[in-house]
Amino acid sequence: MAATATTTGPASPEVAAPAPAPRDSRKRRRESLTAYVFLLPGFALFCLIVAYPLARSFQISLYDWAVVPTQASRFIGLENYARGLADEQFWLSMANAGVYLLVTVPGQLVIGLALAVLLDAKMPARGLFRVLFYVPVITSWVVVALVFKYLFNTDAGVVNWLLVDVLHVADANIAWLQSRWPGLMAVSILGVWKGVGWAMVIFLAALTGVRDDLKEAAALDGAGAWDRFVHVSLPAIRKTLLFVTVLLVIGGFNVFISVLLMTGGGPAGSTEVPLTYMYRQAFDFLDFGYAAALSFLLAIVIMLVSYSQFRLFGGDEKEVD
Amino acid sequence: MTMRRSSALAAALGLPLLLAACGTGGSGAQSSTEELPAGQKVEGEITFWHAYSEGGPEVTTLEEEVIPAFEKAHPGTEVKPVTVQYDQLHQKLVTAAAGESLPDVVRSDIIWVPELADLGVLVPLDQAMPDFEKLAEQTYDGPLATNKWQDSYYGLPLTTNTKVMLYNEQALDEAGVGVPETFDDLRASAPKVAETGNYLLAEADAAGWQVLPYIWSNGGDITDEDITTSDGYLNGPKSVEAVELLVDLYEQQALPKLILGGGGGTNTFEGLANGMYATIVDGPWAFPIIEGQFKDFEMKTAPMPHGDGESTSVVGGENLVITQASENKQLAAEFTRYMLSEEAQLAMAEAGQISVLESLSDKMVEIEPSYEEYMNQLQTARPRPPTPAWTKIDEIIRKQVQLAVRGDMTAQEAMDEAVAQIDPLLERG
Repeated sequence: MAATATTTGPASPEVAAPAPAPRDSRKRRRESLTAYVFLLPGFALFCLIVAYPLARSFQISLYDWAVVPTQASRFIGLENYARGLADEQFWLSMANAGVYLLVTVPGQLVIGLALAVLLDAKMPARGLFRVLFYVPVITSWVVVALVFKYLFNTDAGVVNWLLVDVLHVADANIAWLQSRWPGLMAVSILGVWKGVGWAMVIFLAALTGVRDDLKEAAALDGAGAWDRFVHVSLPAIRKTLLFVTVLLVIGGFNVFISVLLMTGGGPAGSTEVPLTYMYRQAFDFLDFGYAAALSFLLAIVIMLVSYSQFRLFGGDEKEVD
Repeated sequence: MTMRRSSALAAALGLPLLLAACGTGGSGAQSSTEELPAGQKVEGEITFWHAYSEGGPEVTTLEEEVIPAFEKAHPGTEVKPVTVQYDQLHQKLVTAAAGESLPDVVRSDIIWVPELADLGVLVPLDQAMPDFEKLAEQTYDGPLATNKWQDSYYGLPLTTNTKVMLYNEQALDEAGVGVPETFDDLRASAPKVAETGNYLLAEADAAGWQVLPYIWSNGGDITDEDITTSDGYLNGPKSVEAVELLVDLYEQQALPKLILGGGGGTNTFEGLANGMYATIVDGPWAFPIIEGQFKDFEMKTAPMPHGDGESTSVVGGENLVITQASENKQLAAEFTRYMLSEEAQLAMAEAGQISVLESLSDKMVEIEPSYEEYMNQLQTARPRPPTPAWTKIDEIIRKQVQLAVRGDMTAQEAMDEAVAQIDPLLERG
């Protein structure tokens, strides 16, 4: 261990005796080699499942791609990108993702945080409740999307039964999954229900880390529960809030299974989101080049949005600690 | 540091890019065609993908009767059937084609054959099988034609079907209307059935499979004969009038929102059985499914209603294709021959699949009286245009008809827009 300390000395070649110097650098080389060997599996994995597919799909996006390996693909440069930028249906799908974000991100943040605060307090069976709220997160998207499809069924769904027959808020059955806004709403409700437990767990972890003495000090100064939450807990978990928001936004852009299974992007493509649209281009129309280009356009939008979130809300990290 | 990191990243990204680029030269479509004569000694195993329905007796007949009989006749062989849901089969085939992992034999929907042939993944059977003509002669011309792409036949017909009108007599009686025979009947009956709280007619989607029979039965068409343009056909007055019929029925609350797709409404079989939908238009597979689920309901059949044209329905069905990826094409060919034999065709007919063999046409009605209407309708039924662009065209038709039905645009505007989108695809095709 002492040897490692000497390696950090910048002047060692001049000061040290001639003999140990080569052994030292050999040792250092060996050590860094060891480090690289340890890095290798992770790096190889990264190349295999991230870098290679990324580069490959970028390459595909520049071609009129032939699906079957035995057929030749035609290089068309940025044509797929130009087509994407001019594709109204693609931008409609982005707008739909925007609507989904507007509902699901605040929904998950507020409800998740509220649940976390409640379940952070000492209450009976809070372990049970924590588990219950987390269960939707670990259930399969396919299963819950199909369940929600039945709930929102026009003629026989529980939701319409509640609204029309029990609460009498609507006169006739709402065609939830057969029109744009109700369809997006149904999908968003599923998104919030399924994601709220995840936000809750992260917030719970952050709230546990808020120092009790700060809260006690505030209480001594006469701050009520609400003031302690707003002025002590909330600033303390600010970074977590940012983290959760950014991830929820990215996740929102990637909404897929629920839309595919509940509305199929219909009617007339009005509830299409970027991923369902891409999927259709690739797997229904075999237009893999175009689908790949759309995925990069989406990635650019997500990067811009995430970057501006960090710039807007993450600027002065050092003030809070 | 950033410099070094970014150049490492560039190296990491660039290397696979170069490697990948090397792989895209493309060796061109395989043109070597192995000879697959009949009567060869076959052994080994093949995989067979199909979308026979598990709801009725189709899968059990295939797995417990047809395949064992084949294996018994050819000792030392094994046919491994894989049931794929119809909705997923197309995507699975495409993915498998891209990954070069297609099975040996596929029971493909007739509309996918041109697309798969165009991808170069199918064996041209007319070149590979010396007895192709003999096999092809036994089948109906319409289903056989769906195997042709450019100058070759890439498959053999396996089963054929079409759609006829299925109705719930009680629901029609309740509204005091007869079985609709013409578009005028449909228009006249619509308000009366709507008054009873039921729908006159339900369509589960607005794609070609649903919409084309209305267009044809009104004397309209989708494209010209050579499938080079849809201008003047799909947006011609007769076609537009047919779409307007659907729009009007929808506005009169005689056609449920089900046509907008996406799910959410009562499905057509259930709705027909409980009287909510007085009529639907569907294929022969409806019988075993409805008999299984709604035992008290007696379904009746009628020809597809017509407008200015002759009652014309759409040809559906499946073909058997052998893939280039197959490593046991001899066995695949032998299995294909067996599936076309009278023995196998009769067994599947019992399970709800109409045979493609002309020699069995009389037997069909004996096996299942409900086939009679279908056999009659098949005389005039037409196939969807055989073009590799069909899946795309189908999606365009679905979207534009839905837009018209929702009232976002007139039927004429919707069809003009469809033509504007379809014609470039036909030019490329």
